[in-house]
Amino acid sequence: MIRNYLKIAVRSLLKHKLYSSINVFGLALGMACSLLIGLWVRDELSYDRFWPDAERICYVRVNFTNPNDPSADIGTNFVTPGPLQEAIAKDIPEVAATLKLDYGPEYLIKVGDKTAKEQGHFATDDFFGVFNLPVIAGNPAAALKQPNQIVITRKVAEKFFPNGEALGQKLQLNNDKYYVVGAVVEDVPHNSTLQFGWLVNWNVQAQDWMKTWGNSSFRTYVRLKPNTTLAQAEAAMSSIYPRHAGKNFETGRPTLQSITDLHLYSEYKNGKSVGGRIEYVRVFGLVALFILLIACVNFMNLATARSATRAKEVGVRKVVGALRSSLAGQFLSESMLTSLLAITLSLGLVWLALPSFNAVSGTTLTLDLTDPILWLIVLGLAIITGVLSGSYPAFFLSSLQPIKILKGRFQVGAGPALFRRVLVVFQFSLSVFLIVGMLAVGKQMDYLRSKHLGLDRENVLYWPIEGFSDTKQYEAFQREVVRLPSVGSATTAGSLPIDVRGSSGDLRWPGKDPRQDHQVFAMFVGSDFARTMNIKMVDGRDFQTSSPADSSNYVINEATARMMNMNNPVGKEVQFWMGKGRIVGVMKDFHMQSLHETIKPLILCFNYLNTSYLLVKTRPGQTQQAIADLEKLSKAYNPNYPFNFHFLDEEYEKLYRAEQQVDTLINYFGVLAILISCLGLFGLAAFTAEQRNKEIGVRKVLGASVGSIVTLLSKDFLKLVLIALVLAAPLAWWTLTKWLDSFAYKTDLSWWIFGMAGGLALLIAFLTVSYQSIKAALTNPVTSLRSE
Amino acid sequence: MIQTVNLQKLFSTEEVETTALNGINMEVRDGEFVAIMGPSGCGKSTLLNILGLLDNPSEGEYNFYGTAVARMTERQRAQLRKGSIGFVFQSFNLIDELTVYENVELPLLYLKTPADERKKRVEETLERMSIMHRRNHFPQQLSGGQQQRTAIARAVVAKPKLILADEPTGNLDSKNGEEVMKLLGELNDEGTTIIMVTHSPYDAGFAHRIVNLFDGKVVTENFHV
Repeated sequence: MIRNYLKIAVRSLLKHKLYSSINVFGLALGMACSLLIGLWVRDELSYDRFWPDAERICYVRVNFTNPNDPSADIGTNFVTPGPLQEAIAKDIPEVAATLKLDYGPEYLIKVGDKTAKEQGHFATDDFFGVFNLPVIAGNPAAALKQPNQIVITRKVAEKFFPNGEALGQKLQLNNDKYYVVGAVVEDVPHNSTLQFGWLVNWNVQAQDWMKTWGNSSFRTYVRLKPNTTLAQAEAAMSSIYPRHAGKNFETGRPTLQSITDLHLYSEYKNGKSVGGRIEYVRVFGLVALFILLIACVNFMNLATARSATRAKEVGVRKVVGALRSSLAGQFLSESMLTSLLAITLSLGLVWLALPSFNAVSGTTLTLDLTDPILWLIVLGLAIITGVLSGSYPAFFLSSLQPIKILKGRFQVGAGPALFRRVLVVFQFSLSVFLIVGMLAVGKQMDYLRSKHLGLDRENVLYWPIEGFSDTKQYEAFQREVVRLPSVGSATTAGSLPIDVRGSSGDLRWPGKDPRQDHQVFAMFVGSDFARTMNIKMVDGRDFQTSSPADSSNYVINEATARMMNMNNPVGKEVQFWMGKGRIVGVMKDFHMQSLHETIKPLILCFNYLNTSYLLVKTRPGQTQQAIADLEKLSKAYNPNYPFNFHFLDEEYEKLYRAEQQVDTLINYFGVLAILISCLGLFGLAAFTAEQRNKEIGVRKVLGASVGSIVTLLSKDFLKLVLIALVLAAPLAWWTLTKWLDSFAYKTDLSWWIFGMAGGLALLIAFLTVSYQSIKAALTNPVTSLRSE
Repeated sequence: MIQTVNLQKLFSTEEVETTALNGINMEVRDGEFVAIMGPSGCGKSTLLNILGLLDNPSEGEYNFYGTAVARMTERQRAQLRKGSIGFVFQSFNLIDELTVYENVELPLLYLKTPADERKKRVEETLERMSIMHRRNHFPQQLSGGQQQRTAIARAVVAKPKLILADEPTGNLDSKNGEEVMKLLGELNDEGTTIIMVTHSPYDAGFAHRIVNLFDGKVVTENFHV
């Protein structure tokens, strides 16, 4: 019997080639989207789950409350002060191991003539007590305790010691100290939030400022003892700040997050995780479901619309003894077959699309056909799609009455016609939703790109300061840089001025409430900082090398002045990292972080020895010349290091990588959703035209024009699209308003976005339908009437 | 034996109510060949559908080989129909996607007849209807006569007690029509009960008895010898 079903299914697929290809191709497109997104979602959800006992590894943040205003929002620091890790290790019995890491610099590794930059960490002794990585050679735990040893990963080992044992070999870090390879460990998988190529003992780079509670710069991890909950450990840690941190910071409370949540739930509001990347995972999960539904709707629509052609078969089968259940089974197995065909095709599509998808989404997804889970997903998807798209047609077709059909009295009833309309509305609602999403996300991205930040990011080059043997050499280099005719001005900075990270509670000023923690972002800079970045000075001046007192002076932004409640701060005395000093300048507020954040208080210290980047503003139109000049200069001063420059505006774009990916992906998927919807509409229009063949013939005989017939046939569909627009607009408005709320600075959802989305949907629908309508309208009425 | 008592059938739409059958009392004995005649719209086909268990009467009784079937559900009727009634239609109603062989095989598939038995019976029947040489063709590749012979083959392959034919020669030329009528006559001679709706007095001549319907009522019954 099944063979008979399959035979019929295959033959009817072959017989109605247009409908079959719309069905199979539409489903395959939908499935391919779902599969791609499914692979991506699976990858996102897998982050940090591979660590042994991952649920017991926690990332430590610190919550701060305002002692004067307990109702104010709790602030959360995602980096921690240096002494916290030691205090936890000493005081908290619930914790089995603790770890402190620096931010993870990229250092130049040199072995013989071979050099390459690798990212790594200075880490405290118990790294491997927290993160248990498989060992390839040596004893990593012991090696990390030695100040002259380095632990490297397999990849780094293979790169620098391709033919043999890495263990015991020497390598040089940043043209400075030599280390002996004490152990080689397995590479960290790509789905780890922690990435590194090398590890060196913390104490090698430890400095005094790292031992204070006021400077938060480090990442702290703990591994809990078995059977200890996060809440228990947090409760135990609540006494650490009051006991150790001093009265300026006594409201600090460490808060723990399981490492398995770190990747997806990294946003904190009022002391609690409120989501993060998980939002995008959810959004794209929904998009995948939407697209699959749209494709299924096509199948259902075409199947019920074409029921007239299958009706005779249903009648005959019933007459010769088929029960309704066996007919339903037959039609379900047909949709299964279509679904299986489609999924096979979709695997091919995914395979083709994966490289571009990876490039766009910044992932390294693969289609591993030996992975049983992949097959489970694929088969599951095929079955779900088959059942979803086949159930209504099966239900409907098997209910047809044989006598009506066989006596030729069969008309597709109002029931399925209404059902089809509802489905088309549903389909186009989703499409309109996606179009609005595309336009709004695109508008916000434009806004981010074009917003004036209060500083110049165009024509600014930067590169890390590294490899200079002494200050003198570096000073000479900088003098030469500024002297280049292609260079406008240059400065140095501890972090990039568009992405300032480190904050401190160390700022003191006359009249400060000692009980209250005032966090201020801080950055070391060289001379001409404001001039190079084209930041406006509201009052006072930039740091100048010619003014020796500047080494203990400070420059602040307007937000800091407001925080300190000072009207004319210039000349006032404050105390910070460089000791007591005067404020010499106030900068106009500029955006020093992504536009998700509001502008925060910022203080600049003048000490270019503590800076990490050289920033150069080139003269207009001379950027290429400047790059060539700078490369020559860099080679001369610093032959061991490659001249590795970047553009500041590229770095700015990187701040919005997640949004950029969303923008690109939603564009792709939006276009696909519309394409699939149109495929369905096209088929449906073809069917309607066919069904109304006789009506069109009669109307033409009676004198109807081609235009009036095209209108007649298109009107019904366009009405449905209009309804879809009305339904989708509020939903889209709500969702996108929520998304935009995640930005402190944002564009508005103008009405034209909705107008344009509606117009686009209507236009596309009209074009799709009109091909069939015009074709039908141009047919000679004689042909359609003769067959009667 | 099948027997109807006071069969009524009403068709109603929102505005019009039509009486298609109005008190039909009728009896058909095993092995009989009955022709039902009458002008268009007199209820012939409606009666045939009820007799064939495709439809229920609005009122009245219908005894089908000892079972009262007038109030049965669609599902029960389908179970009963399977294997006991064969249908032949004016427009053949073959499934276009299946070959001659597969069309004929269909009733046996629904009866879950074992494969070797199925093959034997289908081949016998095709041979009998002289369309064996066309077994792998699709319906649209056949002449009208061949299509109707295929339809008859499908109607008889399960060896039903009753064959219902609704104007079986209506779409055929006279030569092919003659052949089809001869086939039905032969089947009847072998013991199959046949009820046939027809407009053609010539075709009706093959039957033992003619039932004339007019406006949903039996008006006369003529017996042939």
